[in-house]
Amino acid sequence: MREEVFDVFARKERGEPLRHIGYVDAPDAALARVYAWNTYDEERWFEMCVVPRAAIIPVNRTDGPFAANAKGGAA
Amino acid sequence: MSGELLNDPAALDAGARDALERFILSLADGKRLLGIRYSDWLLGAPSIEAGIAASSMCQDEWGHARLLYAMLKDFGRDPVAVEHDRPAEAYANPCVLDRPAEDWAELVSFMVLVDGALSTVLEGFAAGRWELATSRVPKMLAEEAFHRDLGTAWYARLAGGSAEAQERLRTSTERMLPRLLAWLDPDDEDAHVLAGAGLAAEGARNRERFAEAVGPSLALLEIDVATVEPDRADWDATRRRGPGRPDDDAVERARGDRNRALFVE
Repeated sequence: MREEVFDVFARKERGEPLRHIGYVDAPDAALARVYAWNTYDEERWFEMCVVPRAAIIPVNRTDGPFAANAKGGAA
Repeated sequence: MSGELLNDPAALDAGARDALERFILSLADGKRLLGIRYSDWLLGAPSIEAGIAASSMCQDEWGHARLLYAMLKDFGRDPVAVEHDRPAEAYANPCVLDRPAEDWAELVSFMVLVDGALSTVLEGFAAGRWELATSRVPKMLAEEAFHRDLGTAWYARLAGGSAEAQERLRTSTERMLPRLLAWLDPDDEDAHVLAGAGLAAEGARNRERFAEAVGPSLALLEIDVATVEPDRADWDATRRRGPGRPDDDAVERARGDRNRALFVE
């Protein structure tokens, strides 16, 4: 079963910036949302989102965790 | 369902009171056994994330069971005795939970079908006249939304997977569906008394709502819930379940035998 990495972002209060709180490996977005909620549920989140790591395009460097996405734009 | 909310068993006639007590116990035991079946997969799930999800659902089910057992206090039952002192033969869980899931496909069927059936019946309970159910059950159902999402996503993944995955999912689904339809719609005296008193949904309504909830998943295997007949053979109205009893290991874990012996005289 092929899985991909989904990064997890969340905020505790309305108006706070979303911050990166971790990641999950999941075969699709539907499972990524459930895994994220189950894995990072120690705190009471106002909002949580998941983003496929392959969709994150680096802007100012090419040696970070998203470097593979730098060429050719979004995966 | 409508009518004045009730919170005192003494306000019910004897038939409705006893039926409600049996009904609550069957929901509590179902939650407790389902939690045990989820817990079996904390370390054997296909990924760490799936194991964490199984762990989270296990915690939810045991929390829900605890709240439901506590409702029995109003019926003169000691929840501690109910949780820790009953033999396996007294357990009132749906009979499909009597043994562990043999593989991940069967656990996914538990998520979709058994958890789905429990939620369907609880929705009817929350919409009825028993006041404690109207206040406690909605939060349980909110937590169940993630169980449903997880089960639905995994069911679709296996249904679209290898021939072996499809076959295992089909086998477990077809094995448990007739018994679960009987559990949703027992067509016994208790069921009619509870529906008549506005305390639970009609069995036929349970089946309709269950079909709406799980039908799209089962359709992936071309299984039509509407064409499956409930299996009520040897229905045990006293325990509100089919024949049999849960395995000893599960009951010992449900009761906490091994560790309670350390501190309970």
